[in-house]
Amino acid sequence: MANSSGSVRPLPSLTDQQPVTTRRKRAWWAREEVFLGYALLLPALLVLGLIVGYPAVSGIWYSFHNKMIGFANPRWVGLQHYSELIQNPAVQLSIWRTAVFAVVSVGIKLVLGLGVALLLNQNFRGRALARGVVLLPWSLPLVVGVLIWSWMYSDLFGVFNYLLIKAGLIRQPLNFLGDRDLAMPSVILVNIWRGFPFFAVNLLAGLQAIPDDLYEAGRVDGANRWQLFRHITLPGLRTVILIVSLLSFIWTANDFTSIWVLTRGGPGTATEIFPIITYKIAFIGLELGRAAAIPVMLLPFFTVLIVLLTRTITQREAES
Amino acid sequence: MIGYAMQKRLHHAFMMFLLALVLLVVLFPIYWMLLTGIKPKSELYLPEPTLWTNNPTLANVRSLFERTPFLIQMRNSVIVSTVTTTVTIVIGALAGYSLSRLRYPGRDFFASAIFFIYLIPGMMTLIPLYVLMSQLRLLNTLYVLMLCYLGFSTPFAIWVLKGYFTTIPYEMEDAALVDGCTRLEALYRVILPLAAPGLVACAIFAFTLSWNEYLLAMLFNNSRNLWTLPVGLAGLVYGDVFLWGEIMIGAFLMSLPVLVLYVLAQRFVVTGLTAGAVKG
Repeated sequence: MANSSGSVRPLPSLTDQQPVTTRRKRAWWAREEVFLGYALLLPALLVLGLIVGYPAVSGIWYSFHNKMIGFANPRWVGLQHYSELIQNPAVQLSIWRTAVFAVVSVGIKLVLGLGVALLLNQNFRGRALARGVVLLPWSLPLVVGVLIWSWMYSDLFGVFNYLLIKAGLIRQPLNFLGDRDLAMPSVILVNIWRGFPFFAVNLLAGLQAIPDDLYEAGRVDGANRWQLFRHITLPGLRTVILIVSLLSFIWTANDFTSIWVLTRGGPGTATEIFPIITYKIAFIGLELGRAAAIPVMLLPFFTVLIVLLTRTITQREAES
Repeated sequence: MIGYAMQKRLHHAFMMFLLALVLLVVLFPIYWMLLTGIKPKSELYLPEPTLWTNNPTLANVRSLFERTPFLIQMRNSVIVSTVTTTVTIVIGALAGYSLSRLRYPGRDFFASAIFFIYLIPGMMTLIPLYVLMSQLRLLNTLYVLMLCYLGFSTPFAIWVLKGYFTTIPYEMEDAALVDGCTRLEALYRVILPLAAPGLVACAIFAFTLSWNEYLLAMLFNNSRNLWTLPVGLAGLVYGDVFLWGEIMIGAFLMSLPVLVLYVLAQRFVVTGLTAGAVKG
């Protein structure tokens, strides 16, 4: 009996053991999952920490210091840069110009992009081709687009002056990029030409996502074209419009490249938006600390936009 | 009174007219670039430019190759862009897999932090980045560009690939795991092939970003022989001699690789953020 019970004993203990081993196994798996999860994420975190995270934090640190190019030990100056910059007319003006540049440009791109999206949403032969062509300005490298316009704007040999004179609209050639009053509209026009396809294509995708039944129902109720647009199309596009406009606003307000290549912020300071004045203070004036304070001053504003954008996009992803 | 059919046809005709106008505005500058690029010098700097040329020439290409470091700069652009693209894909795929498939504390925080980082404008970090790169003694090398572009393209790649990986059913991966694959093997053999469109989108994004970037490439490298194409071409504008023929044909040559990529896969790239990376 004792013997047999002794031989029987291992059985229940064996059945006991099984769940133990799987539980143990699961725990081990879970731990491996955590380890592997961090390990696979690590390269990305290192790169982002080095290229974005650390600079973002040290930028704030520099803005409180008298950091100059070529001098190792920056001196703590507290809020001096900020109080000086806020009262500096050139900086105030550059922030105002950034707002004008970005708001006007994004506004026109939105209206134009919506119009072109509606056009491309019609049924006609060669629609796919037209859509591809409209996208061209956006897909060209930024510098390429900017160089083409710079050449077309030329006051000596530019095609615009030729066409305008030929059409009888002007008598004397205009200096599009060298004239105080014309420079800003001219750089805005370049930004619109390059940027509106982004609006058009995304809004087109938005249009195509609106179910046809809604229009059907609207027509049955006797709505005209404008009413359909006002009450079905626009509400249907609301999220896309918000996302695209916010993205474009952030990009446009920070667009150093196109303005630098077109005018270097000039003539005088006529097109000096905040990235340009930051660059000039930092790398021509060599006052890195003072220049670093300008983006930091604007950071809260951009953070609000980015948070809003992140939230809208994440919500949209969750819905789809 | 106009009949309904007639009204509809008029509406359509008006729409097509507007569309033609849009296409003209879009295409004329591009036409002007090509035309300028193939015009002979004698026709370039006239008070009344001609809208057509009967004497197309490759003289501008030859002059561009011989008188400017265009070819060296193109080589720089190719090196920087291909390295950046390759490393972006590797880092992005690993991190995207981690964020979409593995569960661990802090995962959701990292996911939103990475997306947030993607949206931070480069101007915000420009100056400290310059100081950092100078301290690391990386200025005036091509490495500095690869490293920085990696920091800009990785968040986008992670975000897109995470979206793609989430749509791939767990069963497919489980089958591979049961068959004795490790998780990394399952990622490589099962998941990556299924996420191919996402990989393409990320590759195009990383490549065009590195190919087109101007500010860092201009600021971090002083020598013309270390410049990439955008900086090199834009630098020709401010010389003593007018080189518009060379600049325009160079601009066209520089656009070719990017245009080819866009034609192959434009849909993913442009609407990637707004349409949700999920749809294939």
